[in-house]
Amino acid sequence: MVSLNPNGFYNLRFRFRKVGNLQFVSHLDLVRTFSKIAVRTKLPLWFTEGFNPKPKLVFSPPLSIGVESETEFLDVRLTQYVDPETALAAMNQNVTEEMRFFDAYYAETKLSDIAFISYEIRIQTAGVSEELAKKCQETLLADTVLAVKKGKDGEDKTVDIRPGIHSLTVEEKDGALLLYATLSSDSSSFLNPDLLIRVLKEKCNVFAKDDPTEEFLSVKRIAMLDKDMKDFR
Amino acid sequence: MALSERYASILKTVSKPGRYIGGEFNAVMKNKDDVRCRFAFCFPDTYEIGMSNLGVRILYDVLNRHPAIWCERVYAPWVDMMEKMKTYGIPLTAMESGDPVGDFDLIGFSLQYELCYSTALAMIKMANVPLLSRDRGEECPIIIGGGPCAYNPEPIADFFDLFNIGEGEEVLLEICELYMKMKREGRYSREGFLREAARSIEGVYVPAFYDVSYHEDGTIAAFTPKYDDIPTKIKKRIISDLDTVPYPEKPVMPYIETVHDRIVLEVYRGCIRGCRFCQAGMVYRPIREKSPEVLCKTAKCLYENTGYDEISLISLSISDYSRLPELCDNLLSWTDDAKVSLSLPSLRIDSFSEELMKKTTGVRTGGITFAPEAGTQRLRDVINKNVTEEDLMRAVGIAFRGGKGNVKLYFMDGLPTETMEDIAGIADLAKKVVGEYYRLPKPQRPYGIGVTISVSCFVPKPFTPFQWEKQDSFETLLEKQAHLRSCIDDKHIRYTYHDAKVSAIEAVFARGDRKLGKALALAAEEGIVFDAWDEFFSYDTYMDIFARTGIDAAFYTTRGFGLDEILPWDMIDCGVTKAYLKNERKKAYEEKTTPSCAEHCNGCGANALGGKNRWCH
Ligand code: SF4
Repeated sequence: MVSLNPNGFYNLRFRFRKVGNLQFVSHLDLVRTFSKIAVRTKLPLWFTEGFNPKPKLVFSPPLSIGVESETEFLDVRLTQYVDPETALAAMNQNVTEEMRFFDAYYAETKLSDIAFISYEIRIQTAGVSEELAKKCQETLLADTVLAVKKGKDGEDKTVDIRPGIHSLTVEEKDGALLLYATLSSDSSSFLNPDLLIRVLKEKCNVFAKDDPTEEFLSVKRIAMLDKDMKDFR
Repeated sequence: MALSERYASILKTVSKPGRYIGGEFNAVMKNKDDVRCRFAFCFPDTYEIGMSNLGVRILYDVLNRHPAIWCERVYAPWVDMMEKMKTYGIPLTAMESGDPVGDFDLIGFSLQYELCYSTALAMIKMANVPLLSRDRGEECPIIIGGGPCAYNPEPIADFFDLFNIGEGEEVLLEICELYMKMKREGRYSREGFLREAARSIEGVYVPAFYDVSYHEDGTIAAFTPKYDDIPTKIKKRIISDLDTVPYPEKPVMPYIETVHDRIVLEVYRGCIRGCRFCQAGMVYRPIREKSPEVLCKTAKCLYENTGYDEISLISLSISDYSRLPELCDNLLSWTDDAKVSLSLPSLRIDSFSEELMKKTTGVRTGGITFAPEAGTQRLRDVINKNVTEEDLMRAVGIAFRGGKGNVKLYFMDGLPTETMEDIAGIADLAKKVVGEYYRLPKPQRPYGIGVTISVSCFVPKPFTPFQWEKQDSFETLLEKQAHLRSCIDDKHIRYTYHDAKVSAIEAVFARGDRKLGKALALAAEEGIVFDAWDEFFSYDTYMDIFARTGIDAAFYTTRGFGLDEILPWDMIDCGVTKAYLKNERKKAYEEKTTPSCAEHCNGCGANALGGKNRWCH
């Protein structure tokens, strides 16, 4: 059902990826980049009012630098109806391989309905074994998991991240640790996967060598879910 | 781990990793097996600065239009990245392919300011190419220098195999063509190639083919070619017709914010004015304009290919473009609807009008900048900055009425014939600008007023009427800066000035000869980089390096050059004749001005270079 929003625009949603080297592009830079991509597509964009009009774009929860994603969402406001397939093709003509667009559709949900995000985390470090994988899993699934977090005021504070971990497994695969974690991601209890790594560093001795050419971490979002644990759409 | 993996891995540990990723939209990818010439275009500063350079964008585009050439970009890694690359044995690589720069056929450096020399040398070292041209073997890439600094290439002559003098669009292609031809015919050798280039391509200077001898006092005795089939004077190259030369229509789109992240439209080259301190105004002559038709087409195309929301019209002095109203109207016919703004930097004081200000909705900030350059009419006449106090008051009046409460005024100190009176004149002028604001009726000035005086130090540059002048000593400049501060007694006036020590080092490298090669080699050995960045510049380090290599900085700065002396850059013919420069210098001391080329031709000599243009005959 495509209906005009009472405010006078159509909300077209895109699902895209941000992989490879694009993990090094910050969210702020991504937003700036998308303003230009949107203009290049020649879609009938709805612009913000004011002195410095910009296309109105809304994103799923920001990615930290160093995190890839197979599934990101972008809502674009249009002034006219455009066939989603046409819009999808226009997007793909204006981005590189590391940023393919998969779907386009007129959305009925809000991006703030995203409740959980699933991550795949690969840890290449010295001394990987099945025991280590087990220890990591137990550590992160303990009753309380304390992690040091930088507060808004810049002060370090210790928090229990366990409530934010919905499910988690750790296994040993091809000499690396492979973590699958589904973490809370609504705006009030967003859990950054970086905190999990910090706990493992401290408690399970991963990345002890501190040599980036021998030890390596890759973090990737693989799914976004709603509060009923269904794929978000 | 493979090179690319090691590279990606260290990116997680450095600041602003987005600088190093490449893969941008519109970046040119080719198959290396399909090309016969790989060109690494290096910019000896950060990605953010290099990506904004128009010259690099133009030449990247021109070279890549050739199917057998693949030109890639290379920027200087920031110090943390440099350190990591050193630690993990990663050489300098190119943005597009990620291949080591040392494996390329040709390496070009865009030399925009003298303080980038140390960074350029650091990049050569990171590419694992021998620093000195004479130490490079047959397998080494050919290293080319170009850009404004190539107008005096002598201080860096030891490190470059070849210089491109003048505009590069045609010369670089000819150099690549010759390289490919000699390779194909199996007769390539370094020496043979350089010799052939020096002999047959106009605008090519191969320093190793020239001997320089010195008098006992350090001045140049003779400059002699080693072979009689290479030119004694190297003539600068220009593009004759700017309407037909290719202009980049698909610029590489950076993911991260760069210095000039917008559409840049080059409107004309050259300058009709002839300010006597300005190198660009002389070396980019003759004036050649593009037509509004071509410019509008290019602008539209650039908008569609980039999605930028700002178009900046670029030239040395935009209001001197003979068809500016036509161009602006034409652009405005679609930019407003597309929500694209126009910006006109480099507006001259005497041509600033209400109409121009309204057209450039792009001036989003509440500020505006003017460059009177000197504080008194007498000194403005000496430097041939043909603007008056009335012009300035009229211009700021328009700006104030247009809602701009912040005015920035650019000046220079240390100019020839300058006295303390001229310095006091700067404060006086700023005060009058404040006064102009308070002359507006109260309802017309709901916002505050701020006047910023920004003062830089005069550096006598090659190919200007002031090329023989001496630079003020450090002490004199400090006195002048202190005097100016004591003259400012208005809380609306803010005063900022450039570090005189930076200008002194700049002058040494701008005016230097080949003797400086030793100093720069030592600087490279000591690991000096990023001199253009305040946090890395060290005057004392350079003074120490000069002392250790027998260089007397004063020889190039406070000494001044004799009118009959052979200047280090005399082997270059930039079009404007030495006789003209000498006469302009004479007129400066007589406090006589020279009218712009729009009024009549002053016979500077640049017309001899040809070029389709409007002003010269
Ligand atoms: S030749 Fe004449 S018109 Fe042309 S740039 Fe020189 S002075 Fe100006």
